[in-house]
Amino acid sequence: MDLWRYIGRRLAQIVIIFFVILTVLFLVFRLAPGDPITRMVDPDMTPEDAALLIAQLGLDQPLHIQYIYYVKNFFAGQFGDSFHYGQPVLDIIKHRLPNTILLFTTSIILSALVGVFLGKIASWHKGKKTDTGMTIGALVTHTLFLPWLALLLIWIFAYKMGWFPITGMVSEDIWLDPTSQFWQKALDVGHHLVLPLGTLFLFHFGSYLLIMRSSMLETLKEDYILTARAKGLTEKVIRNRHAAPNAALPVVTTVGLSLAFSINGGALTETVFTWPGIGRELVFSVSQNDYPLAQATFLLITLVVLVSNLVVDVLYAYLDPRIRY
Amino acid sequence: MAEAKPQRIKIHWIAQFQEGWSIYKQNILGKIGLTLLVIFALMALFSFLPPLIDPMYHPMTGVDPVISSSTGPSLKHWLGTDFMGRDILSQLLAGARVAFMVGVSAAFMSIFLGTAIGMISGYMGKFVDTFLMRLAEVIMVMPTLLVTLILAALFGQLSIWAIVLVIALFRWPGVSRVIRAQTLSLKQRPFIEAAKVAGASHVRIIFRHIMPNVLPLSFLYMTFRVTSAITIEAALAFLGFGDPSTVSWGMMLQWVWKTGHMFKAPYWLLPPGICISLITLSFYMLGRAMDEVLDPRLRREG
Amino acid sequence: MALLEVENLSIGYSTKKGFLKAVEGISFSLDEGRSLGFVGESGCGKTTLGMALMGLLPPNGSVTGGKIILEGEDLLEKSEDEMRKIRWKKISMIFQAAMNALNPVKRVHDQIAEAILTHNPNLDKEQALRRVAKLFQLVGLPESRMRDYPHQYSGGMKQRAIIAMALSCNPRLIIADEPTTALDVIVQHQILEETKNLQKELELSIIFISHDISIVADVCDTIGIMYAGQLVEYGTREEVFDTPMHYYTRALISSYPTLTGQRRELLPIPGESPNLIEPPLGCRFCDRCDGSGDSCKIGPPEWVDITPTHRALCGLCLK
Repeated sequence: MDLWRYIGRRLAQIVIIFFVILTVLFLVFRLAPGDPITRMVDPDMTPEDAALLIAQLGLDQPLHIQYIYYVKNFFAGQFGDSFHYGQPVLDIIKHRLPNTILLFTTSIILSALVGVFLGKIASWHKGKKTDTGMTIGALVTHTLFLPWLALLLIWIFAYKMGWFPITGMVSEDIWLDPTSQFWQKALDVGHHLVLPLGTLFLFHFGSYLLIMRSSMLETLKEDYILTARAKGLTEKVIRNRHAAPNAALPVVTTVGLSLAFSINGGALTETVFTWPGIGRELVFSVSQNDYPLAQATFLLITLVVLVSNLVVDVLYAYLDPRIRY
Repeated sequence: MAEAKPQRIKIHWIAQFQEGWSIYKQNILGKIGLTLLVIFALMALFSFLPPLIDPMYHPMTGVDPVISSSTGPSLKHWLGTDFMGRDILSQLLAGARVAFMVGVSAAFMSIFLGTAIGMISGYMGKFVDTFLMRLAEVIMVMPTLLVTLILAALFGQLSIWAIVLVIALFRWPGVSRVIRAQTLSLKQRPFIEAAKVAGASHVRIIFRHIMPNVLPLSFLYMTFRVTSAITIEAALAFLGFGDPSTVSWGMMLQWVWKTGHMFKAPYWLLPPGICISLITLSFYMLGRAMDEVLDPRLRREG
Repeated sequence: MALLEVENLSIGYSTKKGFLKAVEGISFSLDEGRSLGFVGESGCGKTTLGMALMGLLPPNGSVTGGKIILEGEDLLEKSEDEMRKIRWKKISMIFQAAMNALNPVKRVHDQIAEAILTHNPNLDKEQALRRVAKLFQLVGLPESRMRDYPHQYSGGMKQRAIIAMALSCNPRLIIADEPTTALDVIVQHQILEETKNLQKELELSIIFISHDISIVADVCDTIGIMYAGQLVEYGTREEVFDTPMHYYTRALISSYPTLTGQRRELLPIPGESPNLIEPPLGCRFCDRCDGSGDSCKIGPPEWVDITPTHRALCGLCLK
């Protein structure tokens, strides 16, 4: 099926893009002012350990050999040791990545689904109170400053009402207790997830709503909608089964285009909520001058964006038969 | 024939502008947006006043001799003071100035780059086009905020202008795509053929024939770019990577947050956040109204 | 009793500039198994007429007078729910293939089956699809292409699919709105021939709408010429084509080239069609008519019966 060829092509493109970014990062780190070695080797290390690490990472070799080491190390998962944590970077990001994926994917999926659903309804009630209300709501929420929105939500729902925890992903007492069940732990994470997820959701669903709304209004003017009416279908069927599937396509495209933007928001949210994900780790590592960790988290985040792009493209190809056939 | 075109285009512009303005005026969103922006512009202008009234009102260095902690609104300090006893209102006004500065310059630069690259890419086609568009793709994939963070890690504290430059360098791809599409469709039009036959060089064609037709679109995108530039700078300042010598709204939020006052001082927490959000909203409304002016299909039917 | 009787139908649109009287006082009737064609330039109201018959006028359109009587019932008296049941089951429509008439994200057979299932709830999906297969055979489309999406079809294939869809619920009346415009001439001819065959085979009643009088004359027994929202001439195809009486009809026929017969000059019709928001009091064709007299401008023209089946809206035409 052509779908596989399409996926293959996109995958190849993504691999190339990633390599370009990998290379650029390599160059930037090596060529920036200052001694590159201090960026990879913890100044607190003993000279022997330092020498070992230098040899392992190939830092004493000429630039092009360093590059080969660099790429090899990347695929081997060897990113050096974090200055701050003193552990291999790989161990740290291994634990952080799932948390980010949890928050990121649920927020995008939730805001896209709700945005599409509400946008459809808004377009149907165009000009009336429902529509005006939703449009204004969407307009206001997606122009709010994200970290500020996060702080507001924490202030109201965590601090004042006490419904949710202020920071973090887990409650230590539940997770450290050996007798805790899986569902207790899962519920605990869910409890902590509500506010960060809510923040991202509020921030993103507005733009999807607005796009779906205008897309529906455009789609309803199309000729095949006239055909559907002529066939004697009810308005509800026309709206949901003929117009909406077509109108939703631009929303999918938008989700794809704004993934990099979304991950900015994700990193900010993680930081404010102290959610232990790679976004927060990046911010933290930069403030600590923990170069190995910063570099690795940045690359990983880029990878997440690229993979999400691929997923969205495949989804689009699945939804729009004109791409596949 | 080809030479006469630019003159006619200039006069055409004035007439278009007037027509555009009358359509714009009808749009509620546009009016609200413009009003808000005027308010913010006034804020920015007035930001020079407070230190002149009394040195204690200086946003960065002005400290109230009597107050040295965060206090609520009072007659002396209409929005209260921050943790060091500095006046919040004057900080807010200074922040407006910074927002416009950052927003407009970053937007202008990225639009300039994006339009130039889009035009060249669309016009030249083939290798140049492919190369530039691939470059755009790579840049678009990288989250601007995080890239700036990495650069901050490498180059140390970034000055406000460095931040503006980085934002501009990473925000042009979106514009260039649209401009490129427009250029491609313009390329097919007969008047370009006529110009070529008349012997106009490529550079001339781009600047005198394509550019005027593409600029309205650029301006439209500029409004969106301003908002993203302001929010990125604010986010950077919020995280602590802004320019420590400038007082921006993001910086104010960082201070509230980092000094633990966010739950105790709503008079400090709310104003900067509201300002950032409102300026984003007003530019967005401006953009939507301009969109209606530029795209006749969007105008309300009878 | 005729299958369809339209009495004094008037339709208009509310626009920013005023109320546009798109169709004014049209009356005609159609017997079962017969075909009627409406010819006119763009803006003459023929598409509006077609839409009104199906009850598909846009929100700003309204019927301001007259009756549409199908099988003895006035369609204008029906509620929207009742109309929905009638649409496609009793009257269906063939759209232009060049239009985006087929939903791009649905398979062709699903779209046709949907029409069948909506009006025959007792059938299941499989039965509906078998009917679709038969329809495909009828219009000359290969069954292997049933599962395709519309964008995979050529223009001619799309038109056949649209015809198949129009036939799917065995309607009494089919309205064909410019069904061959934008197709190349050879395909156009094929489709027209097949339409004629289908009509005879299935004893369909067709209303054919086109700007091309030669096509209409080929397919329809009766022709109605429309101009500026009014019916200006009405008669059998021989009468209208061989002995056109209204000056507009005459001008229309002279503006078409013919391969046979004498070579003659092609005469375009000068001027523009009138403003339908403020239509002129007299004959609407007056400005462009080369046979007009003073009486034409004062008051509206009256119908003149040339033969029992042929009439024209022009007082001067018999002279």
